[in-house]
Amino acid sequence: MLKHWSRIVYGAIFEVGWVVGFKHAATLWEWGLTALAVYLSFYFLIKAGEVLPAGTAYAVFVGLGTLGTTVTGILAFGEPVSPAKVALIFLLLIGIGGLQVVTAREEH
Amino acid sequence: MAWIFLIIAGLCEMLGVTFMNWALQRRTWPLWLAMVVGYGLSFGFLDLALQTLPMGTAYAIWTGIGAAGGVLTGMLFFGESRNWRKLIWVGVILIAVMGLKLIS
Repeated sequence: MLKHWSRIVYGAIFEVGWVVGFKHAATLWEWGLTALAVYLSFYFLIKAGEVLPAGTAYAVFVGLGTLGTTVTGILAFGEPVSPAKVALIFLLLIGIGGLQVVTAREEH
Repeated sequence: MAWIFLIIAGLCEMLGVTFMNWALQRRTWPLWLAMVVGYGLSFGFLDLALQTLPMGTAYAIWTGIGAAGGVLTGMLFFGESRNWRKLIWVGVILIAVMGLKLIS
């Protein structure tokens, strides 16, 4: 079980990788790494989704991806941070999570 | 302009998510292909949006629109129940997206 949720984490790490790549890649090498990150993030998400409930897996994946991209953007690339921005991103994630919970519930 | 690209990217992501869920059930190659096309377009427009917008904001909004859109298409085209609770969560996502746009 842990193995499957670990895959979600790996997928989210590569997700952060390709978002950084999209924004900052300039050389062919960097774009190649970005493409690889896209492939790997999908690979791990789909592998995990074969076993785990798809909606939950996706919500966690996206949550970790958002956390990772936001923190990386702020710490590594000097993107602006404000309490309002953090709160709204958090609200957005709650919305996605709530949606997954309601959707999963009605499938049972 | 970046915000328009972001919304289009989110809508294509919605198509990608819809086809992914469908493909995980049916596992036919046309569904996987449709998923790839949907995500491909989504990535292209996200790339454009990311030239201007911060990473966390763009990524969160992109997936939020994708998730909310997936639920709406499910209700409109796939006979999923029009549960008021789902609509409230979709509303929460949209409010958060609008808020992020306002503070940017």
